[in-house]
This record gives sequence, structure tokens and C-alpha cells, in this order.
Amino acid sequence: MILRARGVARRFGRDLALAPTDLVVAAGEVVALVGPNGAGKSTLLALLAGALEPSEGTVERADGVRIGWAPQRPAFYGRLTPRENLELFARLEGEAEPAAAAARLLGAFELPDRGRSSGDLSVGNRQRLNLAIALLGSPRVLLLDEPTAALDPTQRERLWERVAAVRDLGGAVVFATQNLEELADHADRVVKLDDGRLVFDGAPAEAVLA
Amino acid sequence: MTVLLLLRKDLRILRRSPALAAVLVAYPLVIAGLVGLVAGYASSKPRIALVDEDHLPARVVVGDRSFDVNRTIARVSRSVHLVRLSPGEAARELRTGKVVATVTVPPGFVGDLRAMVRSPRLILETTHGGITPRVTQQVQALVYSLNRKLQTAYIAANLRYVRLILHGGPGSFLGRRFQVLGLDRTDRLLRQLPPGKRVTRIRDFVGDARLALAQTDAALQATANPIELVRAPDRGRTWALSAEVQAYALALTISFLTLVLAAGSLAAERDENVVARLARGLVGIGELVSAKVVLAAVVSLVVGLAIALAFGVIIQVGGVTGGEPWARLPLLGLGLVLAGASLGGLGALLGALAREARTASLVALLIVLPVVFLGLVPREIVPAAGVVSDALPFAHAVRFFSSSLYDARPWSAVGREAAWLAGLGVAFAAAARLGARRLLV
Repeated sequence: MILRARGVARRFGRDLALAPTDLVVAAGEVVALVGPNGAGKSTLLALLAGALEPSEGTVERADGVRIGWAPQRPAFYGRLTPRENLELFARLEGEAEPAAAAARLLGAFELPDRGRSSGDLSVGNRQRLNLAIALLGSPRVLLLDEPTAALDPTQRERLWERVAAVRDLGGAVVFATQNLEELADHADRVVKLDDGRLVFDGAPAEAVLA
Repeated sequence: MTVLLLLRKDLRILRRSPALAAVLVAYPLVIAGLVGLVAGYASSKPRIALVDEDHLPARVVVGDRSFDVNRTIARVSRSVHLVRLSPGEAARELRTGKVVATVTVPPGFVGDLRAMVRSPRLILETTHGGITPRVTQQVQALVYSLNRKLQTAYIAANLRYVRLILHGGPGSFLGRRFQVLGLDRTDRLLRQLPPGKRVTRIRDFVGDARLALAQTDAALQATANPIELVRAPDRGRTWALSAEVQAYALALTISFLTLVLAAGSLAAERDENVVARLARGLVGIGELVSAKVVLAAVVSLVVGLAIALAFGVIIQVGGVTGGEPWARLPLLGLGLVLAGASLGGLGALLGALAREARTASLVALLIVLPVVFLGLVPREIVPAAGVVSDALPFAHAVRFFSSSLYDARPWSAVGREAAWLAGLGVAFAAAARLGARRLLV
């Protein structure tokens, strides 16, 4: 086990966004989260990332495991340039050489580096920056919320290569998606949520039938 | 370390918004100037109705002095704006607040004035509360000025009677004419009488009386004015360079700046969806709030010192004496940091409660004016305003700045206000830390 949710639930006021849910993610596993809009996928990912506190239950992670999280809505400072955003988050993530880490990810994601504010980037580039920030600090677990939604085919391909690399190095990836083609190609396991409840946990082939 | 990282980021973002920064600095300075103008105008020239029920003549003769009524009123009413109104108009305007007081000259006023037998009366009616105590003082000052002028006339008239008793001659009182022998002629007549014990005693008394009455002039002047206020030539600062204006301008500017900045920048962390990323162990909520408090303190220090430096240069170039524009800058700097941090705590609380940057900035703008005006209301006039103001940083900042710049021994006041600012800052920041959890929802 590299990441585990035990009876984790979340309410927003009186609304139940996620009913008590158990989920175990093993090392070397890629898990796809599927379900209709409002099913609780983003809430579960945010709870696993530690960005939200559960109303009930606990989230456990293996000792020393670092988690990278790319929320569905890009999360960075619009007035800073991509380089400045990457350097800031690299420092906060404890990267030994923040400037070098930022330069490496700028190149890897082919992000513009001409002093333009991140808020002025195209939708696709904003998503690239969002994903690049999630990779800072060399995380063993990646939590990606609809990561391919705004990416072009080339960038999608590179993203799945990175996902495979994390898995191959003994890490794990949990990603939310609405694209069923991605299940068969990239997921080892599928977890389906509906109306805040876990309704399926199994192989991708079974998920399509479920 | 984390707080410094976030502070650097916030300062960088602020630097990328020069128009916003300029407006945030210029706007409160303009407001401070306007508030000062309005306050100065309101306190210096309240509108007061003059109701003349005695039909004051153009000239009134008191003793041997003649007074031009309109010119005399104009001369003594420099601190109020007197308008002549009928009794009905005055009553209506007093009810509606168009005038803050009415001064009525009742029938028989001029008769009493001329007769010099009993004091003529003026009747003052005022509105309730507000600036009434100040208006009453100004009307009292107006009556005092009138009395001073009348005293001179009365003393001159009384001295004429004294001189009549001394030297003799024709006189009149309440319209009756009479002839007075006078002490001088009494003495001459006594000298013509055959000498004797009784004549000598009467001559001694006449001599004593002449000597005593000869001193009456100075004695009357002295008793009429036991203490005389002599106005020295103007040596103080102009209103625009006064200690109060500087203290208010500083406090008002940093209040606007820090409240809006702290509230807006904390709420912006949620708007940009970054707060959730930070909250997963990268930055604690307490550190996030602390960064906004430190941001407010730094901005307050930089902008406040710039204003103080500009003020100091103007004073230096103008050759205005008084105050410590340079030597006390470090103390002022401490005050700016404390005030900025305290206001930053309040701003962070507003930002946490509002949750959205635009709402937070608007709420901060709406909050800052009542905070400032509460601090401007004199505690002596509205005690409740003083109590509420004590729970907010603005009034403490004003007192700290004023004391640190201009008091000969500022330490007691500065220590007290520093403790208030620090305490309020900690309380607001703690409340903001609790409230900031809402940003994660």
C-alpha cells in the first residue's frame, strides 16, 4: 500500500460530496477514477492529496511518500511568469535546486519563457504549467484531475509517458477522466463513483461493461 | 522562511500592478486631504442664526462710545458664520439642521445696554449632540468678544462719573441732568473756611478720596480683565503642516492600503485556486495569514516612511520649527510596522470571511471609512465612538504617530499605543487564521 483512504467522506455544509469511501492504492499501480459530473472524483482526489480535510475517516500514506497533485482547475499565480511559479513551488516543495528544477520542467513541458504572465497563457499551456507544478519535488504518487482535458495529442502522449515512468519506478498514479479510451490504454484499475458513492472497483475491461 | 517566500511573491505581484499600487496610495491621500478640509471647515465656521427681536439700530451708543452694529458683529464672529433670520425661519432651520444654533436678541436688549444698570441677555438655542458643545463654546467666545468691547465703553463711562466726582461739573444719568460740586472744588471751599478740627478731618477725607479715585482708572481696567489674553504674532504651523494632519494622513493612507491589500491578497489565494495546493502541507494556514500580515507591515513601513520623508522635506524647506521630523523616524517606523501588521490582521480576517478577492476588496473599502471616521470622532463628544474605536487599530495608529513625531516625552503614549496595536494585531490574525479555513472549502 502506498496510499489508503479509510471511510473517508466529505460534506460541504449539508451537501454530501463523498460518502464514506475505502480505497487502497498499491505501488506500481495506475488507477482511473470515472463517473459523471458531480460524482465526487475531484473531491476524492483533493482528499487523497491533503488539499481538503475529510469530514470523516482518514487518509494514510506510506512513510516518506511525496504526493504531486494537479487539480482540475489550474492552481498557480496568474501574475507570475511560468518560471517564477515553478521556482516558487519548487522552493515550497523543498527542491534542492529550485532554479534548475524550474528550468527542467519549463523545457519538458515546452512552456513559454518570455516573461509573459501565467494568467495570459493559452488554456493548453495553463494545463501544462499545472501539471509541471505537480511534478515538482519528485513525487512517488501523482494525483491528476482530468489531466488531458486541454492538452494537444503530443502533450497527451508525453503525459502518459511520465505516468508510466512513475509507475515503473514503483510509484502510483490516480487520475480522473471522462475519456473511456484512456482506461484501456493507461489504467491498471478503474474506480467508478456515482453521486458520491463508490459503485465499482475493478479491471478496465469490466468497468466498460459495468 | 515560508512566510518570506510568500511575502516575496506578494511584493512581486504588487510590483506588477503599478496602477493599482498608485491608486491605493493616492486615493487615501486625497481622502485625507478632503476629510481635513471638511473637518477644518466644519469646526471653524458653523452656521448660526441671529434673530433680532429688538430691531438693533445701525449704531448703538454706550457711554460715550458709538458702535456700528454690523461691523462689530462681523469683527467678533470670525469663528462662526452668522446669518440674520426671522424667528420662524431660525426655528425651522434649527429643526432641519441648516443652522446649528440660534442667538436671539430679545426685545429691550439695546435699552438695557445703554442704561448700564442691568446686564442685557442673549438667548442661545442649539441642536442636540454632535458639535453642540463646540458651537456653545464658539458662541460663548463671541459673547466674550462683545463683552470685551462693551467693557471698554462701560469703563470709559464709569470713569467719566469718577472724573465728575473728582473735578465737578455738569453730568447726566438715566436722562436726568445735574451739577456736581467735585472733590477739587470741595477742597478749595474747605480751605476758605476758618480752620478747625472738624474742617481738618473733612479736608483729610477729601484728600484721601481724591488720591483713591485717581487710581480708579487702572483699578477698573485690572478688575475688568483679571487675566488678559495677548495674542502673539503667528508662529505655529499652517493647518496643512500640523501634527494632526500628518498623523491622520499617515494613518488613513496605511489603513486603506493595508486593509485592502491584506484582504484582497488572502482572498486571491483562493481565487487562483492556489490555497488548496499550498494547504496540502506546503504552507500552513497560519503561515499564509502571517505572510499577509507581514506584507501589510512592509507596505505600511515603505509608504509611511515615504510620506514622512516628503513631509519632513517640506517642513525643512519651509523652515517650520517644532516636532522631530528626522530624529524620530525610527520610532515612527516601528509605529508604521505595528499599525500595518495590526491593520493587516484585520484585513486578513476580512479576506478570509469574504473568500473572493473582489468581494474582499470591496468589503475592506466599505469597512475602512467607518473605521477612520470612528477614529476622528472626539471621544469627549461621543464616548461610544471612543470605545468602538479602541477595538480598531486606526485611532491607536494616529495617537502613536502624533506622539512619536511631536511629543517631547512620547514614551508613555507610544508604549501604550504599541501595546494596543500589537494586541489587536494578534487578536485579528488569530481570528483570520480560524476564518481562513473557509478558503479551503
